[in-house]
This record gives sequence, C-alpha cells and structure tokens, in this order.
Amino acid sequence: MYRRAILSVYQRRSALKPPRDPRLGPPAWTHLACVPVFRAAVQLSRRAFGSAGVQLCEKKEGAPAPVAEEVKNGGETTEELQTEPKKREGAASKTEKELKDKIENRSFQETAAVQTDNTVKAKAQSPDFRTESESDSDSDSDSDSDSDSEAVSRAGAKTEENKITESAEERKSTPASPEKAKDNEVGKKGLLELLGAMKVEVTTKRKLKAPKIQRSGQEAPPRPGEMESTTSMFQQATSEAASQSETLSPELVEAASAAASTLPDSTQAKSELLRQLRKHEAVSQEQRKGETHDIGNIIADMKVGRRLNGRPNARPANQIRFDEDGRGYTHDRGITSELDGVRRRKNPFLTKRLSIFPVGAEQEPDTDLAAGPTLWDADLASQIVQVVNQRPRNGFEEMIQWTREGKLWQYPINNEAGMEEETSVPFHEHVFLERHLENGFPQQGPIRHFMELVVTGLGKNPHLSVKQKLEHIAWFRDYFQQKQDVLNEAETY
Amino acid sequence: MFLPSMFFTLHAMQSTQHRWVFQTLPGWDSLLPVDSGQYSNSKVISSILFSGSAEEIVIPRKKTWYGIAVLQALASTVNRDPTASHYVFQDDSYLTPRTSAEFKLYSLAQESGRTAAKYFINTYPKYFQKDFANPHIPCLMPETLELQVNEVSEAALIERIQLRKVKAAVDMYDQLLQAGTPVSLDLTNDLLDLISLYGDCDPARGDAPEQRTEEMVSLTLTSNNNAERIFNMMPERNRRSYGALIRGMVKHGAYSKAFNTYTDLLNNRLTGDVHIFNALISAAPEVREKYVEKWDLIVDLLKQMAEQKVKPTLLTFNAVLKALRRCGSLGRTQAFPVINEMKALGIAPSLATYDHVLGIFYKAGKLIFNSFPYCKFDLLRCRSHLWWGDIEQAYRVHSLLGVGENWKLLGDSYYQSIYYGRFFNLLCMMEHIDVVLKWYKELIPSLYYPNSQGMRDLLQALDTDNRLDLIPQIWKDIKRMGHDNKTELVEEMLSLMARENQIPEVQQSFADCALDVKALYTQTDRRVPLSWSAGSLSSITSILLAAERTQQAWEMLKLFKLANRVPSYCFGDTRFSSDSSDMNLCCSSFSILR
Repeated sequence: MYRRAILSVYQRRSALKPPRDPRLGPPAWTHLACVPVFRAAVQLSRRAFGSAGVQLCEKKEGAPAPVAEEVKNGGETTEELQTEPKKREGAASKTEKELKDKIENRSFQETAAVQTDNTVKAKAQSPDFRTESESDSDSDSDSDSDSDSEAVSRAGAKTEENKITESAEERKSTPASPEKAKDNEVGKKGLLELLGAMKVEVTTKRKLKAPKIQRSGQEAPPRPGEMESTTSMFQQATSEAASQSETLSPELVEAASAAASTLPDSTQAKSELLRQLRKHEAVSQEQRKGETHDIGNIIADMKVGRRLNGRPNARPANQIRFDEDGRGYTHDRGITSELDGVRRRKNPFLTKRLSIFPVGAEQEPDTDLAAGPTLWDADLASQIVQVVNQRPRNGFEEMIQWTREGKLWQYPINNEAGMEEETSVPFHEHVFLERHLENGFPQQGPIRHFMELVVTGLGKNPHLSVKQKLEHIAWFRDYFQQKQDVLNEAETY
Repeated sequence: MFLPSMFFTLHAMQSTQHRWVFQTLPGWDSLLPVDSGQYSNSKVISSILFSGSAEEIVIPRKKTWYGIAVLQALASTVNRDPTASHYVFQDDSYLTPRTSAEFKLYSLAQESGRTAAKYFINTYPKYFQKDFANPHIPCLMPETLELQVNEVSEAALIERIQLRKVKAAVDMYDQLLQAGTPVSLDLTNDLLDLISLYGDCDPARGDAPEQRTEEMVSLTLTSNNNAERIFNMMPERNRRSYGALIRGMVKHGAYSKAFNTYTDLLNNRLTGDVHIFNALISAAPEVREKYVEKWDLIVDLLKQMAEQKVKPTLLTFNAVLKALRRCGSLGRTQAFPVINEMKALGIAPSLATYDHVLGIFYKAGKLIFNSFPYCKFDLLRCRSHLWWGDIEQAYRVHSLLGVGENWKLLGDSYYQSIYYGRFFNLLCMMEHIDVVLKWYKELIPSLYYPNSQGMRDLLQALDTDNRLDLIPQIWKDIKRMGHDNKTELVEEMLSLMARENQIPEVQQSFADCALDVKALYTQTDRRVPLSWSAGSLSSITSILLAAERTQQAWEMLKLFKLANRVPSYCFGDTRFSSDSSDMNLCCSSFSILR
C-alpha cells in the first residue's frame, strides 16, 4: 500500500500545479523540506491519494483516455476514495489544505526534533540534493509541460523523495548528547524505518515510470502496434529500474557509513545499517523479480495486436486495467467483446452434426426427379423470381424490364442485330457455296463458269440468308434444266 | 375502351421516345465494353510476322454479351435523385406519394390499372387487332388462350392441365369418368398436382411486385375439395398422388391433414419422397405446440427419411432451418448441427439458408455476420434485423445494399420501410445530428416515408445535439408527410420549442411554426380534428410569449377557457405587463377554476 500511496503522491505532485501560497515563501519550502516525518509522509500520501483521484477524475473528463483507471488500481485505494468523498474537490484547495497539514505536522514534529532545522536546510542546499532533484525533474519533464511553476512544486516533491536519506543523515548529524542515549535508540529505530521507506521509494520510482509511459502510450485508442510497444516499455522500465537500484546501492552504503560515523558506536551502527540495507536490497530484488514476473503475467494476459473483431473498438474502452487484487486484467465488456467471446467459445462449424443421414452412401436415386420439371418446380422458380422482382429505378431499368417481357426490341450489342435465324449458321455456309454446284450442273463449260461466278457473288453478298442463297442456286438449276434442249442445241451444256 | 387503348398507345409512345433518347445520347458506345479480341489477335499475328519469332498465339476467349448489356451499362450510370420520388411515379406529378400509405395506394393503383387493361384486351380481343408494332410484338396483342380440343378426351384434359385451367380440367376429368373412359395414373397425378398447387381455384396472374403480399391470402383447401375427391376416386394411388395431395395440403394450410395423409401413405406400404418430407418438415412447427416437440417431430421425420433412403436436398434443410426459426432458443443450439449436417452431405447453402440462420440468431443479439465472411453479399435478405444498435454494422449492411443487384433483395415496400426505418432510427440514436440530417436528406422523400415514431426520433436527435432551430424546417416535412394529425408528435415538438428561450430569429420562426400548428388545431374540415390539450396550449402560448407576440399569446390564453383546459404553470407574467389588468383577470379566473 505504501508503494502505491507514495506513487500517488508522485503522480499528484508532478501533475498538480499548486498555487504558490504567499505564506509559504522560500523559507517555507525549506520548512516543508525539513518535515521528515514518516507518519506525515504516509498521511500526506493518503491525502494526496484522494486529491490524486480528484485530479485524475478531472483529467478523465477532458481526455477520452481513462487514465485514471489504470492508475487507480487497488481495492483499498478505491475504498479510500469512497471513504473520503469530500476530498473530491478542486485540486487547488486540496493543495492548500495539504500544505496546511504539512505545516501542522511540522510544528508537531518540531517539539521532537527542533534542532534539525538548520542542518536540514544545509542539507537541502547540498549539491547532492540539487542534482538529484534536477535529474528527477528531468526524468519527469516528459509528462509535464509546464516546467517553471512546477519546478517549485516538484522540488517539494523531490524533497520528500529525498528527505528519507536526508533525515537519516540529519538524525545522525545531530550532535548526540551523551544524556540522550535513549534518543540514540529512537534515532536508530527511526533510521531503520526510514531505510525501509527508502526501499519503498526505490520500487515506487520504478513503478511510477511504467504507468507514466503507459499513459502516454495509451492516449490514442490502443492499436496493436502500440500495445506491443507498451510491453517493450514495460521491459524498458524494469531494466531501467534495475540499473537504478544498482547505482543507488553504493550511494546508500556511502550514506549509511556517513550516517553511522556520526553515531558514537560507528562501526556497529554501520554494520547494522548495511545489514539492514542488504536485507532490504534482497527483499526489493526479490520483489522486483516478483514484479517482473507479474509484468510478464500481465503481458502474457494481454491480448496484444490481434484485431479480434476485424475492427477497433468504437469506444476507448479497450484499456487494459490491471487489478492486483486478483481479478487480473479485465476487458471492458461491450457487444463486440461479447461477440468475440461467442466466436472464441466455439467455431460453429466445428460443432457436432446431427448425424442422421449417412455420408457418402449411395442412396436410391429419385426416379421422380428425373421426370423433368413439374408444376411444383415451376411454382418454386416463379416464387424465387418474384422475390427479386422489383420495380425499375430508372428509365433504363424499365427498358430492361420491357426487353425481357418482349415489349421492346433488343438494342444492338454487335452488328448482327436482327439476324436471329442466322446465328446458328456458320460462316463457311455463307461463303463456300461451290459444293452446291455438284448436283445438277455440268462439270465444265460456260454454264459451269457462269454458275461459279454466281456462287462467288452470292458468297460475297451479306444481305441474303443461306437459305435464300440456296434457293437462288436452285432456281438456276431448274432454269438450266428447263432450257436443256436449247442448250443442247447450242452445244453448250 | 378508352383506358386500354390509352395504355396501349402510351407504351408505344414510350418505347419510341426511349429509342430516340438512346440514339442521341453522346458517346454511348464508349459505355459499351469493347471486345478487343480481334485487335489483339491481329497484333499478335503481326508481331510474329515481323519479328519472325515463334511466339505462342494467345487467342482471347470470346466474350458473350447479353441483349440487355447496353441497357445495363446505361442503367448503371444513373444515380438516384434524392429529391425525387420513386421512378414509377414520375410520369404523373399529381400522384407523387408523400406518405407510405399513399405510396402503397398509388403503386397498387398503377398495377391494377395495368391489370384492368390486360383484362379488357383479353376479354375483347376483337377490338385490339390493330398491330402497331413492326415487327410484331406478341405480348402487346391479346392473348389467344382458346381451348383447341373441345371433345371429351384425354387430350382435352392434357391441354387444360397445360393451360392451367383448374376448373375446366376438373370438369373434363369428371366428364371422362362419367363417359367411362379410364384416365391414366400419370395424367390423374398431373391433375392432382394442378389442383393442389392452385388450391382448387384458377390461378390468378399476380406477377406485379406490389400485389404479392395480398396474393397469398390463405387459400385453405375446403374439406370436400376436388383434390381429395379425385384422390379418393382413384383406383390406384402411387407415391406421386400422395405427394401431390400432401404438398397441396401443406401449401394451403391443412397441416394436420397432411400428416394424416402421410400416415395413410405409410399404411399403404409406400415410402415418401423428398418433396413429401420437405412439405411435412415445413408443416411440423404448425402441428406441435412446444419447441421441443416441434424439434422432436422434425428429427423424427429426418430419421424416417434416412430409413427410407431418401436423399435430403437443400430444400429439406432450408425447411428444417425455417422450422427452427420458430423454435426459440432451441433453434440456436440446433442450427449449427443442421448446418454441419449439410456440410457433411455436401449440400451448398443458399441465400435462404443464411436468411434462416440469421433469423434464428438475430434475436439473441449475437451477430454471426462475421462468421460468414464469404457470403456477405447474400446476407442482405436478412436486412435490418442484424443491426442491434451497432451503427458500424448498419453502415456495412447499408453499403452492401449498394453492391450489384443486392437492392433487389430488399423486398417489397413494406420490408423496405422496415429496413429504412430501422436504419434511420439507429442513425438518430447513435450519430451526430449533422450526419443524421445528411441521411435524412438522402433518404426521406425518395426512399423512405418515416412514420411518426421516426419523426419523434429525429426530434429527439435534434434535442440531443441542441439543434432545435431546425424544428420549423422539420415541421414542414411533418406536415407534408401527413403526420400533423399525430397528437403526440405535435405536442412533443411544441414542448421542445417551448422549453428554452432561443435567439430572437429562431424564436420568431418558432412562433410562426406554433401559429401554423394552432391553425391546424382550429381547422374544422379534418376527419379527426385535433383536440387541444393543456400541454399544447401552454407550449404555444409560451412560444409566442418568448417571441414577444403578446397579442397572439393573449388569444391563446383565451383558448384555454374555450377548450376547458387549465394552464399547468404560469407563463412569465412580466411579459404581460402591457395589459396586466387582463392578465390579472385571467389569472384570477383560472384560480377560481382551480
């Protein structure tokens, strides 16, 4: 929960633009920075959580992408949001309130650790702190555009981030008065707690990255490619985190030794600190592993890149929501996803069949079917035709209808229009007519010669049908046979 | 004789006119798909001649064009005019339909006019012997369906059966029996077929699209009809005789009788054929009450088919699926086994198969549209059932409508109005008002005559997207479409207009519109006069007040008393400041009334 809580603090802080309270000038910031109390941090984070919710809700109103849902992930957090509905107010007022709280906390804490102020101030201005906060602000700047006003607030955030180490040192740096051996105990205990918090911070930092990147990735409706890139971002995030923790650990050691050196029993304190650190490191490593494993699960669970329904979801509801409380990622139920579910459940064509009729068995051929179309068949055909019998939509369609009904002559589609009776007659019947001269005509002589000319002329005549041509030839045959006597006399036949 | 001859000349005129238009069309031959076979052929040959290489000569396949190819090409260039009514009404602007009822009426009138002309031509053929057309067009001439054979013989019976003269055929059959001439079994079966098909009365020629729905008024076979009489008189009966009787019974609604006849058939140690089973399967849901019983009966019939070695056909499975449509949730579980059975038997599904399957499934809201990607063009018959609140799907289906000849599958005007009604309803629900109005302009006068519910949907869409200023325009359409007598619609519109104050121009147009409505209410020559309700009166009054037409609003206020209504709320009384005394009077009178 802590992790999440602090995470939400980060989110909120980096995104919020707190109005600069005139009461809180630069010294106030240092005051703020010096509020090292863990309890306060937790409390803050809790409050901040509420306001983070508010802020996210606001965001949700504006942008279509429901970013809030992916961040707001725990059942507890939602509970918290529900129990503190009044927190859902303007973000600005929230900040103010929060600042007030901080101040209160500070005054409360001052009684316990009055002497810390100056040291912390010094620490806060130490280059170490500066660089770190700067680098952090750099890393965050991708998500936030407004840099100037936020730099301040982020500085505040960073102080919190770093205050753990800070306070650790600061506690050690307090001149340990001998009569306050008990104080030592308290300090050590607090130190351990703080180290624990530090560990937490390490992990949250990592976690923070992922959702942020994810958010930017999911601004657009999730397309396959982008979702894939999200997974790679996960990996990137984890590797980044790993490297970060490695670079951090020498610093930690250094800080621990520095802190221990301020204590009277320096070696023991140091070894204790380091042991504690290692333990935390081991735990965090383990958790990191576990988390990467988790991420792996998430990725495995994710439906990446498959356009299930052939089209993207109409709503941006395809967001992957990860619910750590056990339900895993939930897919928004829409009609399309339902459909996918239907499709996924079973391919309808793979279900069993009725199995009434034997397959492939040669059955008795229907004798009645072979008898030709019956009245019933004609009736069925006319029914089918009537289904598509629509009224014409324009003049041409009406003409098509009339042509089909025979009321209109067909429009020519080639140069043989109106020659229906000739369509079945092949070309050579028209052209090669000499074979019709075999019977009834002499084999040679002037008549044969004449008839060959006639046949050639007929072959070139496009206006007569074959039947007419044959009639023509037959006429000559008859004619010459009638005139055979005259021709014989003239010795031409 | 005026009507038919006019009809006749009209046809002749139209055909000549169209031909002329066709010839004067610029560049019509460019629309013709050119058969480039000859050209490419000669090119190939010449390339061989000149290059000398032995390339393979590829002779392109001959393309065959149907006689209507030109017309089809031309028709594909014509787009629909969204501002005009349907093409069939364009000849007579007076008969332009404005409502769906008018559409129905006019198209029926048109077709009945044609039928009347045909009737006269065929009844008095001697007056219609002049042949205008050259060459001769037979279908424009009176039909000569004179019976050639007049003596009592089998040939005469055959002729009557072929000409489908049911009554004459039955008479001839009776005469033959009385004369003692035996009629062959096949011929008797033919006669039975004829009687069963046409339900013992002469077939009506109903090939007009609009008359289709009326045609199928249930022609139930009366108990002592000719088919059964002849069937009982038959000395011997074979499967075909039973088949004819059963099919006729199923076709004309005597379902339980059909099953009795089937039992008879089995008792006579005959087996059914596929047509008998098809008919019985389609009758199965009629003779059982419960879903499970229906399905059991169907399965029983299918098993009997398998036992009797009858091979099922596509029609069998279509009948099964059609019956499953009436089996509720059972149909959803059994539809896919049936389809898989079809698949196993190698029977390709037809359009009707998909129609039935979709009909089975759409009620559940589970679209199986995507399961059949390969046949999506066939699915149009399933029409709007598919949409189920999914606008994308609706667009897809609608775009399919534009593909090829799919529009023909939309059905008659009743189905079309359902289709467009659902489409429009969905648009109103899901889309932005600009898109809705775009479709409104696209569909409304030419394709779809919305009912009052459709107009209310549109008003709600206007309300949702805050475009109430369009209401006066919509009101004109409402008036034109004859929905101005629908009280609910009018009152909803008035209350929308009265709800908020608009900018002055809009308010003025609202006021005009409200006065228009008021004029409607005060009209006396309407069949069903609108009666004032308190809501409509107050709405009009507040619209007029918002437009600062105090005088007219005052007159409205008087109407309250006239119609014995009490205003439900007080109008912004400050506006009555000019004649506040009257206002006070009025208010006091109403308070008394209360």
